Amino acid sequence: MDNIIKINIFQFSLIYLLLIIILLIMKHTKINQTRLLLVASLRMTVQLILAGLILTYIFKNPHPVFVIIYLLAMISFSVHRVLSKNKDINKKFKLSITLSLAFSGLFVLGYFVMAVVGESFFNPQYTIPLAGMIIGNSMTGVTLGMKTFTENLKNQRNKIEALLNLGVTPRKILLPMVNNALETALLPTMNNMLGMGIISLPGMMTGQILSGTAPTTAIMYQIAIMIAICTAVCLTVFCSLTLGYKTLYNNRNQIEI
Amino acid sequence: MDKVVFETKDLSFRDTIHYQDIRIVKNKVNFIVGSSGTGKSTLLRMFNGTLSPSGGEIFYAGDNLLEKDTIELRKEVSLISQSVYLFDSSIRDNFIQFYEYRGLASPTDEMMLEFLKLSQIDFPLDKDCTTMSGGERQRVYIAIFLSFLPKVIMLDEPTSALDKDNGYNVIQNVVSFCKEKEITVIIISHDNSLTEAFGENIIRIGGMNNNG
Repeated sequence: MDNIIKINIFQFSLIYLLLIIILLIMKHTKINQTRLLLVASLRMTVQLILAGLILTYIFKNPHPVFVIIYLLAMISFSVHRVLSKNKDINKKFKLSITLSLAFSGLFVLGYFVMAVVGESFFNPQYTIPLAGMIIGNSMTGVTLGMKTFTENLKNQRNKIEALLNLGVTPRKILLPMVNNALETALLPTMNNMLGMGIISLPGMMTGQILSGTAPTTAIMYQIAIMIAICTAVCLTVFCSLTLGYKTLYNNRNQIEI
Repeated sequence: MDKVVFETKDLSFRDTIHYQDIRIVKNKVNFIVGSSGTGKSTLLRMFNGTLSPSGGEIFYAGDNLLEKDTIELRKEVSLISQSVYLFDSSIRDNFIQFYEYRGLASPTDEMMLEFLKLSQIDFPLDKDCTTMSGGERQRVYIAIFLSFLPKVIMLDEPTSALDKDNGYNVIQNVVSFCKEKEITVIIISHDNSLTEAFGENIIRIGGMNNNG
């Protein structure tokens, strides 16, 4: 059943020719992003080659330590990405995000690999790719959630001040903004589920089908990963903001943004 | 002797503002005057506990302010700040929403209209607040805060967006209402004519400011 066509390097490099089309369109429409396109393509290539080499090594020499290191690296990188976009928040808020991202990601990942797939958590072939999808999406979700939340705080300064002056608790003032940010962060994932199978054949399923997996198995994985992603996004954003908003006020009910 | 609502001792804020000892008299109209940057608004925010002093003490009705629950304090000591906030909806809906945040049933239409009249607003309750002028919004804001019947009402530049006559009338109405309900009034104002007309206890700050 080994019907995979292995691409050889020469054929593979043909795909880069498509970039010329983008470059020509950019030149024609005077979009000044040719540098970004080249840097992005190059970075992606280098990063994926490295990931490919590392994964090959780990799959050949499976050891729990490698899995743990890989997961830690993924989590640190995603935490770094989120925090670099939220430099102005206080230290405790940053800690809340870090813990929420790590805990939610690992919890959903563990459930997926051990309960649903029924494999060892330290089997790199399952844990590492699934971790990438779950943690990566959680990162995007929490970035979007934080963006919405901090924008709400900024735009609603007057409202916050008015309500505080009226003797409303910070919790009652901030919770609607937390809920609004959570909703915003969840919408893309849920919309993505709505169109799945009709508008798009999702990435993981496509990959499995290309590599010879029966479509019926592939869809089960795809459904499972979508629900796992949605849960991880929801849990990460919920925990980050629920723990985080409490760091914005003190026991004198003064809000510091 | 007059009763004192607020009393400060060696009060300072962030080492940049040092206040002389201040006494706010109960059930009177207290005016706080002084040039900008002397810490008038900061003082009011320390009175309602949304800011903490860096040094010194504030006493509210004889008790140290630090011992007070800040939420209860703010319900009793209401600060109408300069930055007006209204929800993007009708006047009635604004009353409803502010009351909901305070966990209270919203007042009747008659009550709303009564408070609007106090602050010289004669719009119907269905009037959309987003289409009002700055001065009109300021007055609706004052009406809503006043309707909660606090024990102390603090107004920070309440007439900044109003013309002279309008400002005078609003303050006159607010003052006589507060007299009737035994509400202590604290007003920050740059308008000397208002201070002269209504001030019963005038506190000039900045003159004794350590920074000059």
